[in-house]
Amino acid sequence: MRNTYAVPLASLLSLVVTCQINAADWGSLKGKFLVEGSTGDPAPINVNKDTEFCGKHDLVDETIVVGDNGELANVIVYIYTKRGQSLDVHPDYEATATEPVVLDNKGCRFDPHVIAVRTNQPLEIRNDDSGIGHNTNASFVANPGFNEMVTNDSPITKTLQKAEPVPAPVACNVHPWMKAYAVVREDPYVAISDENGEFTIENIPAGQHEFIFWHEAKGNMRDLKLKDGKTDRKGRAKLKIAPGETLDLGEIKVPAKALGK
Amino acid sequence: MNHGLRSSCLLGSLVAVVTLGCDFQTPEFHLNMVQMVSDATPTPKPYQEQIADVLGGMFGTPDEPFALPETGLDIRRLKMAAGPAWTDEKGAAFGLYRQHCSHCHGIDGDGQGPTALFLNPYPRDYRQGVYKFKSTYNPAKPTDEDLHRVLVNGIPGSAMPSFSLLASAEIEALIEYVKYLSMRGQMETALTNYVYNDLGEEEVLDENGDPVLNEDGEPKTELIPLDPENDEEQRAAITEMLAEIVEGWNEANEQIIVPTEEDIPTDVTDMKKFAESAAKGRELFYGTRANCVKCHGPTGLGDGQQDDYDIWNKAHLQFLESVANDSGEPQFASIREEVAESLYPVRNAIPRNLRLGVYRGGNRRIDIFWRIYAGIAGTPMPGSGPASPGAQGTLTEEEMWNIVDYVLSLPYEDASQPQKALPINVELVN
Repeated sequence: MRNTYAVPLASLLSLVVTCQINAADWGSLKGKFLVEGSTGDPAPINVNKDTEFCGKHDLVDETIVVGDNGELANVIVYIYTKRGQSLDVHPDYEATATEPVVLDNKGCRFDPHVIAVRTNQPLEIRNDDSGIGHNTNASFVANPGFNEMVTNDSPITKTLQKAEPVPAPVACNVHPWMKAYAVVREDPYVAISDENGEFTIENIPAGQHEFIFWHEAKGNMRDLKLKDGKTDRKGRAKLKIAPGETLDLGEIKVPAKALGK
Repeated sequence: MNHGLRSSCLLGSLVAVVTLGCDFQTPEFHLNMVQMVSDATPTPKPYQEQIADVLGGMFGTPDEPFALPETGLDIRRLKMAAGPAWTDEKGAAFGLYRQHCSHCHGIDGDGQGPTALFLNPYPRDYRQGVYKFKSTYNPAKPTDEDLHRVLVNGIPGSAMPSFSLLASAEIEALIEYVKYLSMRGQMETALTNYVYNDLGEEEVLDENGDPVLNEDGEPKTELIPLDPENDEEQRAAITEMLAEIVEGWNEANEQIIVPTEEDIPTDVTDMKKFAESAAKGRELFYGTRANCVKCHGPTGLGDGQQDDYDIWNKAHLQFLESVANDSGEPQFASIREEVAESLYPVRNAIPRNLRLGVYRGGNRRIDIFWRIYAGIAGTPMPGSGPASPGAQGTLTEEEMWNIVDYVLSLPYEDASQPQKALPINVELVN
């Protein structure tokens, strides 16, 4: 009789232990994008509106932003979720869940060029170009789009209710060269590669996820070579995030041709 | 009946790909091929067929329309509007859409009927469910009354005529049918996105649950079929997508912009007050908060920003550019070329010449107020009022009324200072 109790007790104990180590059930993903081949110099913008103000900023086309050694910025990495599916969110993200994400009209460009915003997180659109009128025109798939004037000192705040399947284009019609992208997801697991081509997504629930690799030039980055295997035709790759570990994809080579160059 | 046959024959003969003679084919709905082979949602052929099947089940055919009860669409009205044009013994007309609309707006409501190529602006493509001239907030759908106004008044400055001579039951039937074509088009987009995002290839497994390998030793894959009839999860997803689309249309009446009574600043019969308001409007027109001048030009002739596009032309432009730069996956290469060739030339969004006194969405003060408040959906024109009920706008209602007054004063310039004609930029206007 004693023996029969022993097994459930042991499993109960192990259950308690699992609960305690739950904090370690999260892992991270990192990597660095490098362009192989030359994408050439970014084309200068033909500033034909508000020339006096906008003309002094030496604006260039920001579709492809590459560093001196091929570091590719603005690659978006996020996790595919099936319709209706949500991911567990690490408590560390709670603090930032309600912090506004700022998209600024500054120097006749959008700053930053790519923003990541969670559903119900405030998106604040500012205009810090003194004396210049901008409008912000966002085209969404799942959310209602908007197209509004934004004036100095009176930012507009938006909250988006639904996740967007792909990064959504944002434009200013007064200055048609101005472009930005908004990644709207329910979860915080979005990374945008920085000027060093590097990205990190921290505290992802451990397990296998399908990651999406996206870049403005060609959208989904299909056939992108990763450490093991490559992305599929939708620019997705299944990667396993081990608890307490960081999966380092190392240097991910992006052929210039894959960026349309 | 004769009439219907003749018009479908005419349609057939004008379509580029023609068989010899006129074969009286029953009109069918076509897929939005730009969407099907775009970079964003490249959709393999088997899925295209499955999407067409699902749409057929949900919406029927151009001759036999169908609408699920949850769409709220009135099937009796749809039947009056659909099918070949004919008149019964009592004189009741049927096939109204084909008789009055399809030659411009197309059987699918894609705005690419046989005459569309010769029109500028192009006829509206209903499939996105986006309408320009309406009383609601920018992203909201038009109300029935908005569509009614466009049908009865026509759109001055475009090829859209007035249908005010039609019986009101016929107008109602056409409004219902336009909404039907929009919902169908929106559903097609939703299905295409759904298939791309959530379906696709999965590995084929053998009876032990192990992946089956192909000749190259890689796991064999097959497409998960879009089959809502047999797949409960898919059925639930599609039901939800339809509900979202229908909800947008149903809530249009709650999205109407109603001006605050006390903010309406001028009494049009009092010329002095009107002039004061117009003078304030002029300041705003040239100022950076409203910034009208950037697009409508310093003269109001519409000669400011002209190198932008509306969403319909932009979608085609982006597709054409993507085809020119990249053939895409091999399975789509030839069809992408074909689709690109089938598109009409892309046109810029030319800002309205405000000196003409021709207002496409109507020339009542409220019409112009709505345009300034909400912007014009689908076009570069932004809104200056709150973007949704209760939100904060850039301009106050009073300021927007001031701009209305200034705009209304523009065509009536002083005789001593006539404006020069709009410089024609052939390259842009084509």
